Amino acid sequence: MSKERSRTGLRSGSRAWLRRHAYSFFSSIGALVRQPVVSMMTISVLAIALSLPLGLYTALDNVRELSRNWERLDSISVFLEPSQAEQDARRLASLLSTWPQVLSADPISPGMGMNELAGQTGLDANTIEPGWLAELSAEANPLPWTLEVSPLDDIDVAALAEQIRQQAGVDLVIVDLAWLQRLDALIQVFARLVELLGVLFGAAVLFVIANNIRADIQSRQEEIEVMALVGASTAYIRRPFLYSGLWMGLAGATLAWALLIGGLQLLQGPMQSLAVTYGSAASLSAPPPVLTLSMILGSGLLGILGAALAVNRQLARIKS
Amino acid sequence: MSLVSFEHVAKRYPGGVHALNDVNFSLERGEMAFLTGHSGAGKSTLLRLIALLERPSRGQVLFDGRNVTRLSRRQVPMLRRRVGVIFQDHKLLTDRKVFDNVALPLLIAGLPWSEIKRRVRAALDQVGLLAKETMQVPGLSGGEQQRVGIARAIVAKPSLLLADEPTGNLDPELSAELMQLFCTLNELGTTILIATHDIEQIRQLNRRRLELKAGQIVRDQSTMHTNGDDQYEILPSGPASHE
Repeated sequence: MSKERSRTGLRSGSRAWLRRHAYSFFSSIGALVRQPVVSMMTISVLAIALSLPLGLYTALDNVRELSRNWERLDSISVFLEPSQAEQDARRLASLLSTWPQVLSADPISPGMGMNELAGQTGLDANTIEPGWLAELSAEANPLPWTLEVSPLDDIDVAALAEQIRQQAGVDLVIVDLAWLQRLDALIQVFARLVELLGVLFGAAVLFVIANNIRADIQSRQEEIEVMALVGASTAYIRRPFLYSGLWMGLAGATLAWALLIGGLQLLQGPMQSLAVTYGSAASLSAPPPVLTLSMILGSGLLGILGAALAVNRQLARIKS
Repeated sequence: MSLVSFEHVAKRYPGGVHALNDVNFSLERGEMAFLTGHSGAGKSTLLRLIALLERPSRGQVLFDGRNVTRLSRRQVPMLRRRVGVIFQDHKLLTDRKVFDNVALPLLIAGLPWSEIKRRVRAALDQVGLLAKETMQVPGLSGGEQQRVGIARAIVAKPSLLLADEPTGNLDPELSAELMQLFCTLNELGTTILIATHDIEQIRQLNRRRLELKAGQIVRDQSTMHTNGDDQYEILPSGPASHE
């Protein structure tokens, strides 16, 4: 009998707890909606603060993607002696492709080489005197037969280049490693910078929300006192403020994401034209959904933390 | 067991001001009593000690047999839910509707919405403000605001109702009406302690009267012998020995 009673007591207790939570939940939304301008300003500040590291991260991500497309630059250019003809080039190419360090070896004819060069330098049949290039390609092409050798990942490219240089008919072996290494290092620096900015702006989110909640508590001091007078526990008084922090964090990060998507849309056009001039189709990609989602949730958590910081300080002050 | 009892209670504020000095009395269940005295005599302090808005410097305050001075901070809200307090300055939330103000203690207690609606309407009906439940507080007269405060104090059906100068700012007619309301609530079983300086009014009501002077209870005139001023029981000015 008494067991039965305590069980129903427990159940009605947990129901009351749920109802109190629901009330805090809705009253925190109500508080944000009641002051639309103030809420919007705070959320905008948060969004701008968060969009900076997020935007930098996205830029970095896109550069990384682009550099992956440039990995063919990691390939070794083997210039053959001018005396070498097509069959020599093909023979050497098939020999090299049997080497264990080599992924592929493609022969490039002087004509193809000229076209590629023309494309990369912006010279083409339309911009220069018609027929000149064709003439040059056919008769007086100064370019020799060339092999483009792609090494396998994680091998000693310099040693491979040296080995190729030993082959008969090879004039020049060019490996532009320094350029790629420099780019890689630069990307590392920027990645670290983005991490640093992420931490700094995360802290900014925390303090902006804490300050906002502090001001909110001060303006609602009377209400808090009345609630305490009629039997509200500290947890009950604190809860709507924690929810407010959560909402601001979530909304700020969501708006930051929207700003980023909008920015990418604006950049897409110019980026396209830029890519066309390089003869490639580059497009900007948004940050992956997992990252976006974790940023939004993280910002929400920072919001709760900031609110807790402010509430605990302010409530202690009011009580004393 | 008495609902409230004070045992050698003293309250001293920083700076050495003795608000209360060795106060002893008890309030029985279902009793309605008045606390009188000049302003500064310690009336408000005494009420605040019961609701644990302050803690005594010495002595014990018992509520329902429990020493409230020993309650932890977490237990204080539970006590406050059992005590309805009516303040002279109403302490209403001015940016909320009448209904929401009265509903506050029930929301805090986590009652179901249907129950909250029913009880708030009942309380508003009791104070005659049912028609104004959707009005904002600033749109009400002083008397109406005071009655909203009363509705909020009684809505959670507290065992004890404390009122600090509830008629302080009201004209005599409204005051009489309010007092009548308190009498009705008392007849329905609520224990009530009202601090007031309006002696004329309470004389007609014929209830127990505790008089404070400089932080001590100097008179405790119970309902048993209330035929006139002559029969006031004058207590010795030393430590009061009232049971």
